[in-house]
Amino acid sequence: MEAIWLYQFRLIVIGDSTVGKSCLIRRFTEGRFAQVSDPTVGVDFFSRLVEIEPGKRIKLQIWDTAGQERFRSITRAYYRNSVGGLLLFDITNRRSFQNVHEWLEEARSHVQPHSIVFLLVGHKCDLESQRQVTRQEAEKLAAAYGMRYVETSARDAINVERAFTELTRDIFELVKHGEIVITEDWEGVRSGFVPNVVHSSEEVTKSERRCLC
Amino acid sequence: MVESAAGGRGAEEGRLPYTADGPGKQEEMDRLDSQTVAPHGENDESCQTGEESRRGRASGGGVQRDQAFAWTGDEQHRQGHTGPAVAKLPNGDVECVSCTASRCDSSDQTNPARCCSLDRNGKVLVNGELLSGSECASLNADVSPASSTSFVLCVSKPQSHDATHDMGAALHQNQDVSSSVRLTSGYTSSSTLSSLVQREATSGGQESGMTSKNCSSEADSECTLHSLRTFSQRDFCSEPLPSNPEDRESCPGPNGQQEDSLTLKDVSLNSRNTYEISRRQSAPDNMPGVLTVASSDAALKQKKQGLSEIFGRGLFSRKQKEAQSAPGWKLFGKVPLRESPPKDSKTIQQEYEAKTSKGGHSPPRPSQGRRKNLEFEPLSTTALILEDRPSNLPAKPEEEAQRHRQEYDEMVAEAKKRELKEAQKKKQQMKERFKQEDNISSAMVVWNTEILPNWDSMRGSRRVKDLWWQGLPPNVRGRVWSLAIGNELNITPELYEIFLSRAKERWGTFRDTGCEVETEVESGTSVADRESSLDLIKLDISRTFPSLFIFQKGGPYHDLLHSVLGAYTCYRPDVGYVQGMSFIAAVLILNMEEADAFIAFANLLNKPCQMAFFRVDHELMLKYFAAFQVFFEENLPRLFSHFQSSNLTPDLYLIDWIFTLYSKSLPLDVACRVWDVFCRDGEEFLFRTGLGILRLYEEVLLCMDFIHIAQFLTRLPDDVSVDRLFGCISCTQMTSNNRKWTQVFSALMKDKEVDKSSSPSLKSS
Repeated sequence: MEAIWLYQFRLIVIGDSTVGKSCLIRRFTEGRFAQVSDPTVGVDFFSRLVEIEPGKRIKLQIWDTAGQERFRSITRAYYRNSVGGLLLFDITNRRSFQNVHEWLEEARSHVQPHSIVFLLVGHKCDLESQRQVTRQEAEKLAAAYGMRYVETSARDAINVERAFTELTRDIFELVKHGEIVITEDWEGVRSGFVPNVVHSSEEVTKSERRCLC
Repeated sequence: MVESAAGGRGAEEGRLPYTADGPGKQEEMDRLDSQTVAPHGENDESCQTGEESRRGRASGGGVQRDQAFAWTGDEQHRQGHTGPAVAKLPNGDVECVSCTASRCDSSDQTNPARCCSLDRNGKVLVNGELLSGSECASLNADVSPASSTSFVLCVSKPQSHDATHDMGAALHQNQDVSSSVRLTSGYTSSSTLSSLVQREATSGGQESGMTSKNCSSEADSECTLHSLRTFSQRDFCSEPLPSNPEDRESCPGPNGQQEDSLTLKDVSLNSRNTYEISRRQSAPDNMPGVLTVASSDAALKQKKQGLSEIFGRGLFSRKQKEAQSAPGWKLFGKVPLRESPPKDSKTIQQEYEAKTSKGGHSPPRPSQGRRKNLEFEPLSTTALILEDRPSNLPAKPEEEAQRHRQEYDEMVAEAKKRELKEAQKKKQQMKERFKQEDNISSAMVVWNTEILPNWDSMRGSRRVKDLWWQGLPPNVRGRVWSLAIGNELNITPELYEIFLSRAKERWGTFRDTGCEVETEVESGTSVADRESSLDLIKLDISRTFPSLFIFQKGGPYHDLLHSVLGAYTCYRPDVGYVQGMSFIAAVLILNMEEADAFIAFANLLNKPCQMAFFRVDHELMLKYFAAFQVFFEENLPRLFSHFQSSNLTPDLYLIDWIFTLYSKSLPLDVACRVWDVFCRDGEEFLFRTGLGILRLYEEVLLCMDFIHIAQFLTRLPDDVSVDRLFGCISCTQMTSNNRKWTQVFSALMKDKEVDKSSSPSLKSS
């Protein structure tokens, strides 16, 4: 029996191979960190419920993509139906940061006519001593693209929750204000069990308390 | 053995067994489990009087102890106990100290677990503590690893002599027992205890055997002792718990069952267990002085809520205080640390009650506490139901008691049944395994002697095909795969060496100069690609089959895998390295020699399906998916339409499966079986296996929504049964409208307008 959620958001996680996409997602959805895990071949799926405000639950459907360039042609097809994305780079790998630009371009060009809300994530921030990308330059890049920037570490569970919940909140606000529209043929956002509108959960409870005598 | 209450232990652990007082004991005393201290082997007769021993011990212990002792002693006297004096330990345990003729040397007190003897009344004295027949000392396992656990066995009857002997011996060694574990289990059934005891005797001590006996407490000092039950583990397991309601205290056991039941309350070494010990839910009214370890058993507590109030004041509360103040006195079964005081009291209360009530029918079995080393877990609390209620409560009506006895019997029977079933199942499994091994070895002979020498002529025969389906014997597997995959590309081991050395050069170059180096071989790909390929290979290798630990850096096959993959990228720069390849190469390496693995790898990847996927040829991939959908609909129409309506396109799960030839998705042994038949039948079998998997989990998948199906299929359960899977695969007919796979596929190839709905995500963009 599924918990009631207001919306379901489909998020896609992209970035170079081995930056730690799968690890970050696993930490978020399963609460664990595996030092070594299989490389993602194609796409992997995860899900988790987050409560962005008391009583407001959003179900996240997370698509974990293979980072190798070869797979881009497969994964680019998945952007279209995603409402949000985490764009990961590894702070100890400069090249992965340099490729952020490419990933964004790729995503933006394949998501038309919709748009994706992205979050820039500098991962493996626990490896401070091997850092090759400064926080400032990453923040600058994120600002230039109109994204937030968060530094995370799946190993030490730093900002993992924060990354996903902030992105979810941003998307939620956009949905609430009608800037993101729910349509039948678009899988990015799905409406939950609570009928109608965002706040109808309150109405529903109220009505249930109606006296029936 | 009594732990060093005497001194040795010090106050920190309360371990000593204290004896619950005998019948008619002050109910208010909390009682710790009555543990009987097994006298150690020597069975010496001298014991200090209870008081003395108590004191003696107390002196060894902390101040609190003394207080406790003193207090309880007084209490005892106040209560006019005729029975052995009961000492209340700070932790609320009641220690039974009786005066007996025998005395223990005070010197014994310094040796924990040492002095166990039977006094002339058949009471066990441990370390100078007397466990009279009617008292049971609760044995508190010392929680600290360093301390020994002591057991106090109450032996009231002379016939328990033997047992006590054993126990004594067993207890004796407590010192070495590191035990907390052993005694940990709260209650130990008498059998456990006895086994412990025996074990102790023999092994020198692993566990302190504790036998708790319920001291029958008929209100007086009659030594209702309880026989020391000694059980050996095997007895325990093989015999049903003796449920002789009538025989309150008797402990069935291999040796000398005493008629009295011992309630062994394990003084658990860890608090948890001590609590467990006193889970006597319905302490029998007539429980002969059973020492109960104060246990935090909630159930007990609840039951006895009323009681605790009654007893809450006075002694009881005092006990609590003491208990609280003396966290260390775990031995007495009270684990104040763990439980909130009120609870403790209750439990202790109950225990006490149980102990004091004379048992009309008491469960012969002391709660089996958690003797970790015993397997018969269930017994630990089962017997509680047989306990009588504390004497201050109205006794159980006969029907109720009868009912309890029945329930107890049933529980025991049930547990035994379960155990038998388990054993049977195991036996069955073993039998199957043997059978399988036999099959494999006979098959191996056939392959080696008949088939392989005549490969070309035999490979097509029905017989060989059937054998093949059943799985290639592991040591012919590599050869058969090699032969089946073939070598269209005509790669020789020498050629492999050439590519390998080129690869090594490149690695060396990159490593040393960190910059691009153009060579003729690399002209086909960009430097960035090559570089990232090489980096990726390195990273992927350590991620390949991590659970096997053989491909990781430093592992036996790490370099091998690196070589094969590296050489391949030199050999086919147009394909390069694609994630997923490492799994295929790994499986080959596991089954063949290096050069053969490379040859098989190169040829395998050269097959049309693999080429299409590894080069991510969209058109072609779409056609494969479309063909798959045809047979999917044909074989599993319900699931097919469910997938359609959930928008679950084949690419979402097939890519992973096909890329890695199931080596990532299925357990390795199952994947190898799939590879066996894939080698026999070709690419069609890959898709047929996919359908077999879907069929296997059809029911489950029908109930899932999109995301769950997707998650499930990309992370299949680990416990896939290869036989069931192959059963499902064989049920899958690769025929649709009288067309086989190749025909369907060719038709699709010719058809320019491939049904895009088979994989919307792969629409050529």
